[in-house]
Amino acid sequence: MKEQMKYLKLSKEEMANLLDELRREFRVVAPVRREGLILFEEIGSGKEAQLDFGNSRKSPKDFFFPQMEVLFSYQLSDNELKIEEPQPEPRKTVIFGMRPCDARALLLLDKIFLEGEVQDSNYRRRREENIILALGCTHPRRTCFCTSVGGNPFGTEGIDALFIDLGKTYVVEVLTQKGEELLRDRLSEADEESLKSAERVKREAESSMGPQVKAKELADLNLLDIFEDSFWDQVHEKCLGCGICTYLCPTCSCFDVIDEKTDSGGERIRLWDSCLYPLFTLQASGVNPRPTGRERMRQRVLHKFKYFADEFGQPSCVGCGRCVVSCPVNLDIRRVVNELVGGKA
Amino acid sequence: MAFLCNWCSYAGADLAGVSRLQYPPNIRVIRVPCSGRVNPLFILRALRQGADGVLVSGCHPGDCHYLSGNYFARRKFALLKNLLEYVGIEPGRVQFSWVSASEGGKFSQLVNEVTQEVKALGQNQKLVKRK
Amino acid sequence: MADLIAEMRQAARRLLEEKKVDLIIGFEKGTLPLRSSPCFIRHPEDVDRLTWDSSCENNLAKYLPGRKEKIGIIAKGCDSRAIVGLIQEKQLEREQVVILGVPCQGMLDRWKMEQLLEGREVLEAEERGEELYLKGCDFERTLPRAELLHRSCQVCRHRNPVLYDLLLGERVAESPVPDEYAEIREFERKSPEERWAYFTKEISRCIRCYGCRNACPFCYCRECFVDAEPLWVGKTIDLTDTQLFHLVRAFHLAGRCVDCGACERACPMGVDLRKLNKKLEKDVEELFGYKAGLSLEELPPLATFRPEDPQEFIR
Repeated sequence: MKEQMKYLKLSKEEMANLLDELRREFRVVAPVRREGLILFEEIGSGKEAQLDFGNSRKSPKDFFFPQMEVLFSYQLSDNELKIEEPQPEPRKTVIFGMRPCDARALLLLDKIFLEGEVQDSNYRRRREENIILALGCTHPRRTCFCTSVGGNPFGTEGIDALFIDLGKTYVVEVLTQKGEELLRDRLSEADEESLKSAERVKREAESSMGPQVKAKELADLNLLDIFEDSFWDQVHEKCLGCGICTYLCPTCSCFDVIDEKTDSGGERIRLWDSCLYPLFTLQASGVNPRPTGRERMRQRVLHKFKYFADEFGQPSCVGCGRCVVSCPVNLDIRRVVNELVGGKA
Repeated sequence: MAFLCNWCSYAGADLAGVSRLQYPPNIRVIRVPCSGRVNPLFILRALRQGADGVLVSGCHPGDCHYLSGNYFARRKFALLKNLLEYVGIEPGRVQFSWVSASEGGKFSQLVNEVTQEVKALGQNQKLVKRK
Repeated sequence: MADLIAEMRQAARRLLEEKKVDLIIGFEKGTLPLRSSPCFIRHPEDVDRLTWDSSCENNLAKYLPGRKEKIGIIAKGCDSRAIVGLIQEKQLEREQVVILGVPCQGMLDRWKMEQLLEGREVLEAEERGEELYLKGCDFERTLPRAELLHRSCQVCRHRNPVLYDLLLGERVAESPVPDEYAEIREFERKSPEERWAYFTKEISRCIRCYGCRNACPFCYCRECFVDAEPLWVGKTIDLTDTQLFHLVRAFHLAGRCVDCGACERACPMGVDLRKLNKKLEKDVEELFGYKAGLSLEELPPLATFRPEDPQEFIR
């Protein structure tokens, strides 16, 4: 079924009203300012939504791959074991304000959680329940590098409708049926003038992108040439192994599964983990294939830019730049990739 | 939850029992070799698991069976008590005492008082993992 | 500043050339405006990477435990105190380090700058003496450096390194702050409910990334209590478990924390961690008369005692 690409428009002043209208039918999640940070949260009123920001501190992957998820609970009573899976209420949700990089990241997470023989049903349900109204990046940050990894400040992958900020108005590019059903009766059609401005805004944004990252070149390198390179001996030294980069990253999906006791039984819980933690690959035998920071840093970089690219044709990094901004020691992955490639050029 | 050191406080509690001195049954005793053995994590864990109050009791300074265990304990607990009250845990939830092996009377009176004080504070709502 | 940097590079070069050290740990220019990054230099030719300015915020003592080499390390006041602490705790031999002490005028607080600029990106920045020039795509501001220093630097009483083999630059005046615990005393005056509400509000932002733990020079345990068995504190972001994590970590640092602020600076969520650490620092000083990282000979406060230690709280 061919989808009509529709262009709608909305003045910025009307944005809060639109969100309030949507709130009558859906849970609405938007970027809010809380304690000095931009975070994606359910809003109580349309006015709470921030329209002018870089990107959220934490990626919105939490809404699809929660940091803590009870998989099932078990109870022992009268020598009988009862196992219960949580039955969450279905909640159709509109997420407004997601950047194209984060939306694209969800497509990469889909490859992990939805492809293959085993699928994460909770994840699928959340993907189906959510409508994504993305906000294109009129002013990419210097730390953004989406164009180096297959993205674009006004990319449309994984998005139901893309809002293009023209200053006082938005042009809204409707991309999917979900998006059309949501917005067609709520917004008016865009005029030629606005469409021309939108194209200009897109072009300017794309050409204003900061320093490029040689992600493609890294993916093209021969793994056997780089795996034991002495480059890895130095690059990890300043890394604290803290895991901040992995927690803020929109594509990182490593997790741990634990059992926690409760009063009458217990719960099996999945929670975020990080390949940078020493215990991540510690095996029951005591063997740890990634015993030092060297192996773990190598894993992080090669997984993001080489292994994933080999398997799926694109790197697992979307260039959002959160790791660059938040690394406590300014270990810049852009520099790491470029130096690795540079050394092998 | 009460952590009692084997040589003094636990013996003191024993003496209270033998002397038929009454004290409330709300107290659950865990015997440790020395008050210095009590890891602050035990106290926090007790609160987390729903204890409404925690009591730690050891030998009087100078009388420790291991000579100085209670001295180290004293420093740790001063800091822990201050820290907990600082973040807003009600004073009186976590308490400390010196009770010797011959102080059966002191022990029963202590538990009576501590139980009343903790009851007055109500159920522990902070630092509890309710599940 | 330029003289200091030249002196630093010269000292590092000499130490490497004369093989007095195998490795120099210092700072190099970062990839973003007003950022520096720890660097590890093994060859004399590389010493020109070394730099020094108000963005050298990390505590480099973090990188010392577990190393076998002889190391030349750039150390601010707080870093030098951390090194003293690590030697006290036998994580390091005194002879292993050549301490290149640098008197410090305080390091910038990135969080504060972000708040002041309301999240707008800094594209260019320059330190101009006691002022900081910041430029973004739609703003240009000059701000007094003193206002942008991290809180730990604003109350710091040890700007000059307390232990060093070589002092780079000139000693600086110690801060005239009358009471470094003023913030804690003010907090103590609030009601317990207010304090609990604040503690809960701050900790509810924590994502258990362990940035604070990993940035701290004294968190060098091979197995942290959050991973150890028996597991006293849960691993998830459950609020109670997260509150307990921070209480225990602060407690583990009692008498050891030198208030370098590395934990708070690392935290991506801006959690007010120093409210806890500074409280323990104050209690250790007031109850036991001890300040961390000032004397190699003193015993850590929880490894010793005095018969007359306070005990009014004990029934």
